[in-house]
Amino acid sequence: MGEGLVKPKSDVLQGTLALLVLKTLERGAMHGYGITLHIQRVSSEVLRVEEGSLYPALHRMEQDGWISAEWGASENNRRARYYQLTAKGRKQLAEEEKNWARLAAAVASVLRFAQ
Amino acid sequence: MSLLSRLAGLLKIHRLERDVEDELRAHIEMRAQDNLAAGMSPEEARYDAQRRFGNSTLVKEDTRAMDIVGWIETTGQNLRYAARMLRRTPGFTLVAILTLALGIGANVAIFTVVHAVLLEPLPFPHPEELVRVYDDLRTSNTHDVEMSVPELWDLRDKSGVFQDICATLPADANITGGDHPERVEALITNANYFTMLGVHAELGRTYVPADALPGFSEPVVISDAYWRRAFGADPKVLGTKIRLDGDLYTVAGVMPPGFRHPGRTLGADVDLWVTGGFAAVPFPMPVSRAIRYFPVMGRLKPGLSVAQAQTQLDNFVAQLTRQFPDEYPAAAGWLIRLVPAQEDIVGNVRTELFVLFAAVGFVLLIACVNLANLLLARSASRQREMAIRLAIGAGRARLIVQLLTESVLLGTISGAAALATVFSLKNSLLRLAPANLPRLNEVALSPSILIFAFFISILTGLLFGLAPALQTARADQTTALREGSRGAGSSKHRLRFCRFLVASEIALSLMLLIGAGLLFRSFWQLLEVRPGFDPHHVTTAKIWLALPNDPKNDPYLTIEKRAAFHQEILRRIAALPGVEQAAIGSPSSAPMDSKSTRSPFRIEGRASDLERIPVAEVASVTPGYFCVLKTPLIAGRFFTDEDNAKGQQVILIDETLAHRYWSNADSDAIGQRLQLGAAFEGPNLAAASTFTIVGVVGNIKSDGFDAASAPHIYRAVYQSPPYGAVVYLRTTADPGLLGEAVRSEVQHVDPTIPVFDVRTMDFIVSAFLAERRFALELLGIFAAVALLLASIGIYGVMTYTFSRRTNEIGIRIAMGAQRSDILRLAVGEGALVVAVGVVAGLAGSAVMTRFLQSMLFDVKATDPLTYGAIAGLLTAVTLLACLVPAHRATRVDPLTALRHE
Repeated sequence: MGEGLVKPKSDVLQGTLALLVLKTLERGAMHGYGITLHIQRVSSEVLRVEEGSLYPALHRMEQDGWISAEWGASENNRRARYYQLTAKGRKQLAEEEKNWARLAAAVASVLRFAQ
Repeated sequence: MSLLSRLAGLLKIHRLERDVEDELRAHIEMRAQDNLAAGMSPEEARYDAQRRFGNSTLVKEDTRAMDIVGWIETTGQNLRYAARMLRRTPGFTLVAILTLALGIGANVAIFTVVHAVLLEPLPFPHPEELVRVYDDLRTSNTHDVEMSVPELWDLRDKSGVFQDICATLPADANITGGDHPERVEALITNANYFTMLGVHAELGRTYVPADALPGFSEPVVISDAYWRRAFGADPKVLGTKIRLDGDLYTVAGVMPPGFRHPGRTLGADVDLWVTGGFAAVPFPMPVSRAIRYFPVMGRLKPGLSVAQAQTQLDNFVAQLTRQFPDEYPAAAGWLIRLVPAQEDIVGNVRTELFVLFAAVGFVLLIACVNLANLLLARSASRQREMAIRLAIGAGRARLIVQLLTESVLLGTISGAAALATVFSLKNSLLRLAPANLPRLNEVALSPSILIFAFFISILTGLLFGLAPALQTARADQTTALREGSRGAGSSKHRLRFCRFLVASEIALSLMLLIGAGLLFRSFWQLLEVRPGFDPHHVTTAKIWLALPNDPKNDPYLTIEKRAAFHQEILRRIAALPGVEQAAIGSPSSAPMDSKSTRSPFRIEGRASDLERIPVAEVASVTPGYFCVLKTPLIAGRFFTDEDNAKGQQVILIDETLAHRYWSNADSDAIGQRLQLGAAFEGPNLAAASTFTIVGVVGNIKSDGFDAASAPHIYRAVYQSPPYGAVVYLRTTADPGLLGEAVRSEVQHVDPTIPVFDVRTMDFIVSAFLAERRFALELLGIFAAVALLLASIGIYGVMTYTFSRRTNEIGIRIAMGAQRSDILRLAVGEGALVVAVGVVAGLAGSAVMTRFLQSMLFDVKATDPLTYGAIAGLLTAVTLLACLVPAHRATRVDPLTALRHE
């Protein structure tokens, strides 16, 4: 049900949005805007998270119990919703990282073979 | 997606929606600020931030949808889990659903009636403006008198309170011209009746202003039921001529099926409406303030409350009293009283319905308590499951929600089952209700009933599920896991809670039982009342002599003609096979079957009492009346056939009247003279005249067992022959066959006269008691169910207690305790719970039964006998319920018991 509704845009690879968000939150609680900035900066502007996909995804993960949310004050004292990784989310992150590594390795070996 | 957002709207997730908006706005603002810092112009910064969101509404919707999807999924999981748990314990589930469905069903059924009778406004536009207008003559203690024509005109033209006001006079009418004469229920009103109510004809028209004539006018409007009955629902009925009491009328309209006259009628629903102005022959002329003969309904001016209108009317009445001192002597204490139309129709049924509603509420509460107990006992065995789930990281809140989902699911299933049962049995259930319960025809499945059923089901689920859910989820993990092997939990606290529940259950049942007990005592007292007549083996039937508009067409205009008719009828029916004795009386002579008609009187030679105008119920009867009813003669003589128009004007009085004025001896009354006020007999206004008392008879409780005995004055039928008559036959023959025989005899004398309402007096008396019996039976059933549930409850708890203490009991027995000691210990524990419950119940009853007061007869709401007896009964039953498990506990084999640990 989730995939169809989340509709990640091409900017971020299909299925990797959750991984990126979870990984970002591993460093500590953050609001949605902070998450986009972080991903953009760390990937040297290669990966761009579309706002239109980010928020549905965040709420979806919250409902799945991977992350929890809380209202707090942002750096410049604005009311913002901070997301935080839960125990379940940590497990999920480990799982997704493993999957991603497997996938990346698989893609790499295909590329090597083609050469 | 739109479906989801609609669902969101349905679930009123407003807060959620605002949260999402806030969150997105915060994002946009932060981006705009950064853009600004990066050197964009303010507009550009803002625009860019917005643009990145694309279609922001869509994003908002997507985001919100995620929240709802999550909620739905969690609930779905909970529901699936709950359904699985319920399926796993089919026995428990079945018992729970049956208990709850019984409780919810009773509530839905009573609510349906309460809704139709009390809550649903009358089916007219602005029903709150409709009122019934009564005259009160306070000093003669005569309330709810009808009104007179000049009073109606005053109210209409000068009071300034009413938009519309209208006389509504129920009347018997004979339809002739068909195969056989038929009696119909007619309602004579002013021409503004239908406009006042705001209703229109289904077919044809109602009255138009041109129909407002001083006398009767030709168009009549018929009811849907009569249209079907008499005309086979013929659409071409309009314009049909019908002969009503000898006069020709034209059917102008047919009312819609749902329309009913919002007021009292003679017998059943109104068959046809006739319009008249009450100001020309054949109405009593000349119009007089003292001749009050029709009920009045009005529609208040918009925005005027009943209380405000009443204040204005009080001033108006004071003004009229000054203006007409002769008509309204201070002694009469004349007042005009407004009663909201709905209240007037419903009458005293209100209290009864609320009492029943409270009773079913109690039953449901008891059912909930019982189930809570069951769940608590079960929670012991589930504590382990819960402890494990807590240990592996489930949130407590989530567990509670899940357990509540289970009980709410049970509640909803039971509610659905109850609703289905109630409405599939609707017609048979309604047959249980007394026929005179008003507005029963309006009982139907409506949205508000569905909503009520839905909410009460949910509430029930929460009510019985909350305590066990909290209890189960508070499980102390380590003890639960350790203790778990036997499926037991931390029992001390739970046990105390169980006992509290059982005690409250006993208290609730006691209150219900005492209520039922008080009603039963009242009913018993009522049956002890001697009505003053013997209703067994008496059959009655009614006849109505037509009353044509033109007296010249009236074959029974003179007293002699009418007297001759009654004499001939009496001669014929007395000779019918199986008839031992027969009599004829005016409609008001029928005990418990007529609205009392009270007339003022004065005893000659006594100073008229300025404080009070005495009134008595006046009826005319033939000589055999008292013999047929087996009412004794106390002094003097009964009427004879010689007491006719040629003879001296004579009357009989009853003991109540005799005692009031001749307190030494009843026989002192004989030969005294008495004046009766002017009376309206058919079209003729009989002037006030003087009568000689020739006899004193026993009291007849004509207004019912529970009414105070009003004084009665009897006139001789042959001196005052009525147009409407009741025939009394003392017989053992079948009333159905007898009815036919009477009909053929009457129609042999005059083929245009119908015979109707053939009934035995036993039936009339039992119909009179029907309302009380209905309330008594229902409350009795509810109380019995409550008693049963409470007994099951205490039995369950005691069984559970002793199973928990098998080990302890084993040790006691091993240490040398006697079985009788164990039994005493066991019963002692139960007795404590019972005692607490009974004391609380007695206290509750003392408070609650005050609301029953108006339904009681000759019994105080705090009747010690009832309280004592019921408390004793309940104590005995509940103690018995704990004796069984206690007895079982004493038979424990110490060895098994010790190994039990």
